[in-house]
Amino acid sequence: MTDTDKKKDKRKIRAAKKMREIMTTYYLDAMTARENNKKVAWITSGGPVEPLIAMDIIPVYPENHGAMIGASKMGEELCIKAEEMGYSQDLCSYARTDIACCKVNGGPMGGLPQPDMLICCNNICGTVLKWYEVQARHFNVPLFILDTPICHTDYSREVESYVRRQMDEYIIFLETAVDKKFDHDKMAEVGRLAFQGQKLWQKVLKTTTHKPSPMSAFDAFFFLALIVTLRGTQIAVDFYEELSLEMEERIQTDISIIPHEKYRLLWDNLPVWYQLKWLSQKFSDHNACLVADTYTSAWCSALKYIDENNFLDSMAQAYTRIHLNIGVDQMADQVLDMIRTYDVDGFVMHSNRSCKPYSFGQMDIMNIVRKKTGIPVVMLEADMVDPRSFSLSQTDTRIDAFMEIIKQKEWVR
Amino acid sequence: MKEINPFHAAINDPGGLAAGIKKRSGKILGYMCSYAPEELIHAAGFHPMRLFSSKSDICLAQNHLQAYCCSLVRGVLEDSLAGRLDYLEGMVFPHTCDSIQRLSDIWRLNTKFNFFADVVMPTKLNTKSARTYMTDVLKKFKTDLEKAAEHSITQNDLQNSISLFNRIRRDLSRIYELKSQFPSIIKGTDLFAIIKGSMIMDREELAQRLETIVLLLEKKDPPPYSGKRIILAGSICDMQDIYKLIEASGGSVVADDLCTGNRWFEGSMPENIDPIEALTARYADRAICPAKHSGNTTRGENLLALADTHKVDGVIFATLKFCDPHAFDYPYMKEFLEKSSIKNLHLELDDQQQGLGQLSTRLETFIHMI
Amino acid sequence: MISAGIDIGSRSIECVILNNGKIREMRKIDTGFDPIGQAKQLLKGLEFDTILATGYGRNLFEIEHEATTITEIKAHARGAVCFFPGAITVLDIGGQDSKVIKLNESGKVIRFEMNDRCAAGTGKFLEIMAQTLGFNIDTFGIEAAKAKKDLKISSMCTVFAESEVTSLVAKGENPNEIARGLHIAVVKRAVSMLNRVSSQGPVVFTGGVANNPFIREQLARITKREILVQKTPEMNGAIGAALIAMEQNKGKEK
Repeated sequence: MTDTDKKKDKRKIRAAKKMREIMTTYYLDAMTARENNKKVAWITSGGPVEPLIAMDIIPVYPENHGAMIGASKMGEELCIKAEEMGYSQDLCSYARTDIACCKVNGGPMGGLPQPDMLICCNNICGTVLKWYEVQARHFNVPLFILDTPICHTDYSREVESYVRRQMDEYIIFLETAVDKKFDHDKMAEVGRLAFQGQKLWQKVLKTTTHKPSPMSAFDAFFFLALIVTLRGTQIAVDFYEELSLEMEERIQTDISIIPHEKYRLLWDNLPVWYQLKWLSQKFSDHNACLVADTYTSAWCSALKYIDENNFLDSMAQAYTRIHLNIGVDQMADQVLDMIRTYDVDGFVMHSNRSCKPYSFGQMDIMNIVRKKTGIPVVMLEADMVDPRSFSLSQTDTRIDAFMEIIKQKEWVR
Repeated sequence: MKEINPFHAAINDPGGLAAGIKKRSGKILGYMCSYAPEELIHAAGFHPMRLFSSKSDICLAQNHLQAYCCSLVRGVLEDSLAGRLDYLEGMVFPHTCDSIQRLSDIWRLNTKFNFFADVVMPTKLNTKSARTYMTDVLKKFKTDLEKAAEHSITQNDLQNSISLFNRIRRDLSRIYELKSQFPSIIKGTDLFAIIKGSMIMDREELAQRLETIVLLLEKKDPPPYSGKRIILAGSICDMQDIYKLIEASGGSVVADDLCTGNRWFEGSMPENIDPIEALTARYADRAICPAKHSGNTTRGENLLALADTHKVDGVIFATLKFCDPHAFDYPYMKEFLEKSSIKNLHLELDDQQQGLGQLSTRLETFIHMI
Repeated sequence: MISAGIDIGSRSIECVILNNGKIREMRKIDTGFDPIGQAKQLLKGLEFDTILATGYGRNLFEIEHEATTITEIKAHARGAVCFFPGAITVLDIGGQDSKVIKLNESGKVIRFEMNDRCAAGTGKFLEIMAQTLGFNIDTFGIEAAKAKKDLKISSMCTVFAESEVTSLVAKGENPNEIARGLHIAVVKRAVSMLNRVSSQGPVVFTGGVANNPFIREQLARITKREILVQKTPEMNGAIGAALIAMEQNKGKEK
């Protein structure tokens, strides 16, 4: 091992190995659910998973699967397949690849375990509604829709009571689906674990306020999978406990994720899954670290609405008031808050063709950020899974020019 | 038929029409989605005006919306920012799709009209709690309107509006019925003008004009029709030329499943119950838009039923490019049609589109093929 | 000191040699399929103390020649300030993309905008359209200016616009009018990007498309702003690069 290799090795986050093991076990469980007499529910990434855990139903996340497809660079082929099936190229690439996967049993795992039911929460977009309708027709299984009206300016009493009532309908739906009574004590316990897990996730993400940062948004994109898929379990709590300890240790021993952190950046929107390595190297070469992002922090941004001791009742609010289900001005406020908290020098926005609710409004957010902070902002045009919407050379030039602007500022560290 | 001229005049110059209405009867509220409760807006004394893109070049809206946003949303924002909608008192945004939802935010942050309301209707329409919520939303909107109008909306106001809109719906349905029965009774471009005009004209005046048109049509003795019977299905169709091209190719639109058509006006509201309940019933039970949910195959079944009722030869899907809800439904609806051996064609439209060359070739080939 | 700037674009490569900041020589060649080979060809026989690369091929060049690089955004900004001191808005329409650059009083880039991923509104777009209409790209603007009326071209996607243009030709529309419509579409697209960044004051227009007189004229008409173009706008990036090469080298000498 050479010296640089050793240094590189030192920078590696140890918990990554554990995380891979946990995810492998999780997917194996899901794949063998039928043999073990367990039910599988497909659920959207913003959906309330806790009642499923309480009912011992295995949640499977097509969006997580989409990310895996993107990261393993199988996106293009599957997107084309979906287009052959009649789905427009302009549709969400998570949806397109998932729909295509069901047809050809494709993807990195040869397809997801078949669902016994589908749980769709539209707090992240209207796309999931249409996508889950497609899957409900394909698998011919019951679909539960949790309708969380968007809160452009406020969270109203009407919305609260509508969503709260649907939580009860959700429970009845699950009771019918697995033919057993809902255990409220167990739900309370799962709720507490979910709360703890999110707290710990928040703690992990906050460690990047330290300079230099012990991890980057690229790591957050990776470590996110557990808080999404296993939220509400002891496994997730234990894991994030360990991860946060490792981050503390890195801070104590001065191990940063990139060798020479000089500039700190904030990322907006989903990752460009098939270019993570290139992007992270690109920024690192500029001594720039993406210390935070608006995407992975969405899985702890509603913590303030959760009542640890009365999870079920607070769920309505916590699941309705998430980053994507609020007005653009409120999203901008969250961005401004992150710019201050993480003390960043620049803002990188991914204009993501696949995600309209995340991307439309970005230009207004960009102007608000420019006006209120004066930090440089760059917009990269891409797509989270479909590489045909990405141009390497154009992105390269934009990042270089953006970094040129950042570097000429005298006030930068 | 000269009685249709006012409709053509209205759709050719909506700005001029709006100026006239503003002068005569006051304040205008704009909307873009057929789930906007027009009856309530009207009962409050406002003129409900559906907005379409003027199809001008997109310049100012470029600063707010990326190129992968549909031409309707970009076009209306452009009109607003360019001052072409200055006649509006304000805007009403019912929950529609992701794009219109974000347009609502962008509109709120970048325009200065007196009135603005998000009327976030439920997405799910087939449950009791969703209907209760819808009633709550309508009541809240009523209060907002009352504040803006500075007077309360009485039961009587609302009943009157409901019966006026029921008259409009009834007559539009009758015109559609006649068109299906005798496709040559009225030209497609005229039908288009009537429908589009009905969404923007003064409603009292409109109700009278429609009555006259129905009477005149019923007296006509149209020649028998031997061309192809077509359904136009999709999002909005704001392209008059499509009707013209279909007829030039030997077809006729005898029914539609459009947001600017049947989905907007079909059915009527019960007049003998609490008006807000009546509104809820109507908006929850009407032919559904793909951005809403009431069952997984509702729209496919509706389309098949429509095809059966109107004995059609083919279906033309006309959707806007970048319209996600429709793009998601298209494959299964196509499959439904194909299982019943109904020929179909998909046109992806864009408000900015100019040349009809390719479009006309495709339409002609399709109609000759069926 | 002799400094060189080389701008390796997707359509062409330009090289400029400066002698203590004064232009001594300018060269240009098509990029073709082998940008590095072509760049070598272009540099043949030239001598210089320092060289700086910019443009899409800058990184390839960097590896090959151990030269430093800057983005074409910085290069065009520097070039523009050299010809028009005090310039704060630069519009560059090159082969593959177009950009608007905003500078502060001391000539530093503070903001930039670039076109969408597709080639719409770029030199490449005009080139393909000229070809479709049977015009020479060098006189495309002059042909467009001959038209008396506008034919609206809406589709700015190269692929769609090509089919739109083809069907207009088939309909017997006047090719000069179509050309005029295409030019105006390109200008409008640039204007919308310009407005996003700054709405008043003179605009320095650079890149090969700035040689097109009709584009310049329409740009001035639509923006109602002064449009400043130096004699060889396609060389602007290479000139900027050569200037920065000189400045960087001076810094090192100190």
